[in-house]
Amino acid sequence: MGLVKADGKPAATSKPSPRKYTRDLTGLLAELNDQQPKARRWAARDLVAYGEEAVGALCERLRTEPEPSVREALFDALLAIGGDAVVEGLIPLLRGEDAGLRNGAVEVLGQLPEAVGPRMEVLLADPNPDVRLFGLDILRDLPHPEAPRWLMGVLEQDPHVNVVTVALDRLAEVGTPEMTPAVRAVKDRFPDEPFVAFAVDTALDRILGGE
Amino acid sequence: MRRALIVDDAVTVRLYHRKILEEAGFQVEEAENGVEALEKALVTPYDLLLVDVNMPKMDGYTLLREVRSTPELEGVPAIMISTESEKHDREHAYRVGANLYLVKPVRPEAFRLLAALMARNGESR
Repeated sequence: MGLVKADGKPAATSKPSPRKYTRDLTGLLAELNDQQPKARRWAARDLVAYGEEAVGALCERLRTEPEPSVREALFDALLAIGGDAVVEGLIPLLRGEDAGLRNGAVEVLGQLPEAVGPRMEVLLADPNPDVRLFGLDILRDLPHPEAPRWLMGVLEQDPHVNVVTVALDRLAEVGTPEMTPAVRAVKDRFPDEPFVAFAVDTALDRILGGE
Repeated sequence: MRRALIVDDAVTVRLYHRKILEEAGFQVEEAENGVEALEKALVTPYDLLLVDVNMPKMDGYTLLREVRSTPELEGVPAIMISTESEKHDREHAYRVGANLYLVKPVRPEAFRLLAALMARNGESR
């Protein structure tokens, strides 16, 4: 039976254990590197309150975080913070070898149209075709009025067959009939590539079928 | 008739691969991402999986790891097909359980032949 104090409430048998970390920015940044995934998850969530001040640490943690649930919390925190610092922190992840990180970055960036918009032309002109493809993946979800113009630019200029066919796939969703001459012209740029011919015909069907 | 599941987030790619596989005599179904593919594969016995790498919700590498660690699915032949042609991409694919790694875009004739060679014979199960 537990001890009962004179006022009838149970007496504490020991002092509460002191918090391992303070609940300020310094403490939460330390907790973000705790050995326990649960602690790292909570730190990520609580760091949202510190906005841009926490972005660098959250992005840095993403690069080494092995636990999927913590990664998810880190991405959720970055999405909740949003803004230029998050976009600048996530774009370098697109160049990494970790598909999960790249796709997580794409999903967050696709929900930040105001901050991503001014950087899209740079992404779509990157020397690395894989980065240009991730730019197009971001565009898939990005509600931005400039999207059709960016996609037309890819159709007209990009030299890589996979980049162009993904742009055709995206343009099929947002394109309008006046864009069809530019879509047809893609076949002339890749005359020996059957996938391009198929992608052009499919895009035309989808654009004109949506009239 | 042999059944194939195409897993890719791009409609155009799914339609292109569907056309080629149907010409090779496959019955084809589609999934937009790894999560949807896993759900379908658990209820339908496929003879071949055709898996893209970069997809929302669950990427192709994670999907193949899940497939290879699920007793009912571990033996399904899987072709990973990606835009990425670096050596480490190929190595990663084989490490997680791909039986073959192809780089997009595929040539229809070669792809028909490879798919037919890789697939299980649906009638033997």
